[in-house]
Amino acid sequence: MKEQESIPVSKTERSAKFVKTGFQIGGNYIKHYSKKLFNPQMDRSELNEDNATDIYKSLSELKGSALKIAQMLSMDKNIMPKSYIDKFTQSQYNAPPLSGPLIVRTFTKNFGKPPEKIYDKFKLSSTNAASIGQVHEAELNGKKLAVKIQYPGVGDSISSDLKLVKPFAFRLLGMSEKELNIYIREVEERLLEETDYELEVRRSIDITSACKDLKNVVFPKYYPDLSSKRIITMDWINGLHLKEFLKTYPSQELRNKIGQALWDFYNFQQHELRAVHADPHPGNFLITPDEKLGVIDFGCIKEMPDDFYYPFFSLISSDVIRDKTQTINAFRQLEMILPGDNPQQVEFYHKAYKEMIDVFAKPYTSKTFDFSKPEFFDQLYAYGEKIAKMPEFKQARGVKHFIYVNRTNFGLYSILQELKAVVQTDTFKPHIK
Amino acid sequence: MATAQQIKNGYIDYVLIHDEKPKSVYSFVKKLKISEEEFYNFYASFESIEKNIWAELTIETIHTLQEQEVWGSYNSRDRILAFFYSYIEVLKKQRSFIIYSLKKHKSKFSTPEVLSGAKPIFEHFADEVVNEGLDSGELAARKFFSKRYKDALWLQFAFIVNFWIYDDSTGFEKTDEAIEKGINVTFDLFQRSPIDNLFEYGKFLSRNGNFKEKMKF
Repeated sequence: MKEQESIPVSKTERSAKFVKTGFQIGGNYIKHYSKKLFNPQMDRSELNEDNATDIYKSLSELKGSALKIAQMLSMDKNIMPKSYIDKFTQSQYNAPPLSGPLIVRTFTKNFGKPPEKIYDKFKLSSTNAASIGQVHEAELNGKKLAVKIQYPGVGDSISSDLKLVKPFAFRLLGMSEKELNIYIREVEERLLEETDYELEVRRSIDITSACKDLKNVVFPKYYPDLSSKRIITMDWINGLHLKEFLKTYPSQELRNKIGQALWDFYNFQQHELRAVHADPHPGNFLITPDEKLGVIDFGCIKEMPDDFYYPFFSLISSDVIRDKTQTINAFRQLEMILPGDNPQQVEFYHKAYKEMIDVFAKPYTSKTFDFSKPEFFDQLYAYGEKIAKMPEFKQARGVKHFIYVNRTNFGLYSILQELKAVVQTDTFKPHIK
Repeated sequence: MATAQQIKNGYIDYVLIHDEKPKSVYSFVKKLKISEEEFYNFYASFESIEKNIWAELTIETIHTLQEQEVWGSYNSRDRILAFFYSYIEVLKKQRSFIIYSLKKHKSKFSTPEVLSGAKPIFEHFADEVVNEGLDSGELAARKFFSKRYKDALWLQFAFIVNFWIYDDSTGFEKTDEAIEKGINVTFDLFQRSPIDNLFEYGKFLSRNGNFKEKMKF
């Protein structure tokens, strides 16, 4: 793989990148419409494909938070046309690494010695990119380790990146600015947390020890002594990423087992810990040779406060949704219906959101759920598409917690769909007052 | 008997406390309680002490680098990057003196006199690294220009050191970025680029100009 030798860091350079993308998209539109002159039947999928390629190209050169945003957008499949998603999901794998001397430098700065003095073996070329850092293979006392190193200057560039992404995302997603602001602020908070590797090590240790009794889930051991502000050392987990795993044609039984482990891992966190690994993109999971689910990367944790948890999960797993007054009440608590709404609006949003909850809560309504059935996802996508077209939804609605909770659950659902797993859904039930 | 080290330390101590060099060699040696002769055995002037410090720091950096295990596996680009990362680390130990020494040099465009000792050492080092790169094909050999590559690296040297003395970011992280980006840009220019291809295409066309007439352009 070719090493990317520079990250555009200054704001002007990054803006230039976005401007370039803008021009290219403009060019693609011209291409599209000139082709359309001769072939009126042509649909927009080729155009979307061209746009997605250019957007992806410029985002993947940006690294840091822009790459993270590319990843986030790729999770929200319901608001992205399919060709965008395919390109964006590429960013979840290999992004080009940084130079060897800078890695050595990062080590000497954090530990006072170069990597070869800390580990018995250290591979200077990275194995994987982790969006705000890269992963290296190392060995100590016969144990294979994964060492994650953060790119310098990431924290600094996050806020300025988000400001740049704003107008871009605004056009791309067709969101209103107010809605986007809530989104951006919440994302910024999480992203800044993610740059704090010391916090990540503490949280990883907390969550992995809380989850240690879950069946068929394995976690790496973390080494706080060999970790610092910019470096995390953990056990290397051998295994295949989801896509590679699926290429081995695993049996239905095995797919169910992995799917169940994933479901249990998420629902245990949501309902027992109230804090959830909110980065369910396929790159963070490995399927080990002994048929277990390995979970890596606890950079992004979303905590769920009571005033979100209770109204939200009472809608999903109780009879509340059948009672209109109670439902509207819950919607008000979650700011999906706002105090200023008139009776028609209350009626409208009640109907629209009830439909959403009905679809979303489907897996919870029976003891087992078959995620391989395309109908469920067709419904989800169709709902997302319908919403995207309604002018009523251009406005900011819903508390900010939805961003990561939706992302988490949607990510979970789509991984389960890719696994085509049948999952027992009543293993960890929501606690409702 | 005084040693070069003693005189050097005495000098650094003096300039850092007084923020200027001693009035005369006479007053300085009196303070150090050594004879003038001893001073001149090692140094011709105060300037030569400063030049010497820079030269020593540069040599120290190159030596530590070449002792590192990874050195052998680095290509030219990595070697120059590694030089600057280590150099900044070495300079850090003497940061106050470095700032004193560079800040009194006002002009931004010429090489500060104090660096005149370090310059040939760095250039020799850079030349070696560049030649290895030219031999291995990592860098593009260009008539006239490949001999000037080391000059471009010297410009980076002056820029990076200057950047560092004004850097107030935690752990001098901004200097790290300046190095990573600056050296990479410089090496991108040293490598074969579309300009080379364009140039060669132009040469080809001018050599085969008669085609133009045959093709009736």
